[in-house]
Amino acid sequence: MIAVASGWRKYGAIMRAQLANSLVYPLDLIGRALSILIFLWVFVHLWRTAFASAGADVIAGLTYADTLWYLVITETIMLSKPRMSEEIAERVRDGSVAYLLNKPYSFVLYHFAIGLGDSLVRGLVTALVGGGLVFAIVGPPPSLLGVALVPLAIVAAWLLDYCMSGLIGLAAFVTEDVTAFEWIYSKMILILGGTLIPLEFFPDWLRGAATAMPFAWTMWAPARLFLDPSPERIVSVFTGQLAWLAVMGAVLALAYRVGARRLAINGG
Amino acid sequence: MGRTTGRPNDRDVVLGAADSDRRRDPRGNRDLSGDRDRHGDRDPRGDRDPSGERDPWVDHDPDMAVASGDVIAPIRALRVVRGGLASEARFLGALWKANLLAAMEFRTSFILQVAGMALNNAVFMLFWVIFFERFENIGGWAMDDLILLFGVVAMAFGIGVTLFGNILVLSDVITGGGLDHHLSLPRPVLLSALASKSRISGIGDILTGFVCYGLAGEASLAAIARYAVACTASAAIFLAFLVAVQSLAFWMGGATLLNRTAINAILTFATYPLTLFDGTAKLILLTILPAGVMGTISAEFVRAFSWTVLGQLMASAVAVLAIALWIFHRGLRRYESGSAIVSQSA
Repeated sequence: MIAVASGWRKYGAIMRAQLANSLVYPLDLIGRALSILIFLWVFVHLWRTAFASAGADVIAGLTYADTLWYLVITETIMLSKPRMSEEIAERVRDGSVAYLLNKPYSFVLYHFAIGLGDSLVRGLVTALVGGGLVFAIVGPPPSLLGVALVPLAIVAAWLLDYCMSGLIGLAAFVTEDVTAFEWIYSKMILILGGTLIPLEFFPDWLRGAATAMPFAWTMWAPARLFLDPSPERIVSVFTGQLAWLAVMGAVLALAYRVGARRLAINGG
Repeated sequence: MGRTTGRPNDRDVVLGAADSDRRRDPRGNRDLSGDRDRHGDRDPRGDRDPSGERDPWVDHDPDMAVASGDVIAPIRALRVVRGGLASEARFLGALWKANLLAAMEFRTSFILQVAGMALNNAVFMLFWVIFFERFENIGGWAMDDLILLFGVVAMAFGIGVTLFGNILVLSDVITGGGLDHHLSLPRPVLLSALASKSRISGIGDILTGFVCYGLAGEASLAAIARYAVACTASAAIFLAFLVAVQSLAFWMGGATLLNRTAINAILTFATYPLTLFDGTAKLILLTILPAGVMGTISAEFVRAFSWTVLGQLMASAVAVLAIALWIFHRGLRRYESGSAIVSQSA
């Protein structure tokens, strides 16, 4: 038990070191804050026009204000997650993975800890800036319970994203260049994850398909929990996220084991 | 640093002019090859060559035949510019060919990047497909209009990054001393710096542009010509805007953040119709951040010909280009670095 606790403590230390490191680069934080302002500014106009064109206050159970708050959460998750696939792929390509393999920690969990250290600071700043803009336009968020619960769902969303992103990074063991996979994954998250448009606005058949995939549990699920933290929603969101984390985590561990066996480093 | 006089590339500009003369000699009976210029035999006044024959550019116009050197100077300048453009076009052609061949050396990566980007764009288009399942139109724009708008922007971006791949990292090139290498070449610095790399994924964007036009464009030669004009102007605006913004690196030092924000902003706003925005936002999107011209105005011109829209498009492209060149060359005077000529890879 002590060994297990000590094992996790080292990842906590790595995460804290990265968290401190993130604070050293305030310009990066400002850049992300500016990005969310740009995206939200477009969405404010897009959805205002869309709701006005439809002549309805509520569409698919969401008001204009709900839609904007939904987008604050999805954009916060999107803009604060690190490009883990790129980092892992780079380490595999340049061979520096060899230096991490012989360290007393897991290569994958090391990257998770680094990622979490990055995401926490970025997420907080992005949420505050994005939330501030939307608060000024449509007023406070719909539920305080949602505000309290959403950080947990966001952390689970990041971890799920790290698993999928890590899988893409590990593909570098086979293909070396993983850029194309990254693009496609990011678009899956944007569209099927519900980053740009709530899944409630999807046609029924597509909404069903999207919720059956892991992408929606990184974006749509936390944003919906934020808007509607009913007991059923709380259970379904956290159960869904944990189930997908278990599945994707297992696939990632397997991929890493297979990939590490294929690793061939020359020189160094 | 921005002046052409006294710069090494003046030699090539003059050589280019001579090549151009050789092609355009209406009589074809005399040697106007660049060799004469290379040996420095050109008449100092420039209106007559040493053989005593009259310059055909002067001969064809009686007024000019008796004109003094002062009047002929603009004609020579025009010839130099024309010849210079031909020379730079050849230089660019050679660079692009080399970049393409280098990228195709790694076939799998080449195909993955092109196909990946095309697929990436296709998935993004799903956003609008889903959106228009729920809403009939958005600010008067229907699905076809949005596809066309996306096609124009994708094509413009694709042209920009394929032919001038360093456009996305120009500020890093400036602050990293990467201009040293380009300053040492007998070529325009900006052109050389931008075109020395190609982003092959841009070909995927160009393909997307064709597909979008095939899906939503009009099947007529006139419309295709309008699409070509609109995409060219849109690409020029995109490139010029980013040059202007990134040239601020000459004064600011690191401008990576500003650059990233500028790229995000122009591409994000360009892919949405201008009708979504109100007066002030619209004014910004047509001036300071010309995303409205890059996207909506260009797409409107493709949809229907209008002299007004064409004028808007051309005026914006010329204005943004002029501003970008002015800022870059002003900044270039301040440029300094430790020598990075040997180690440069930008």
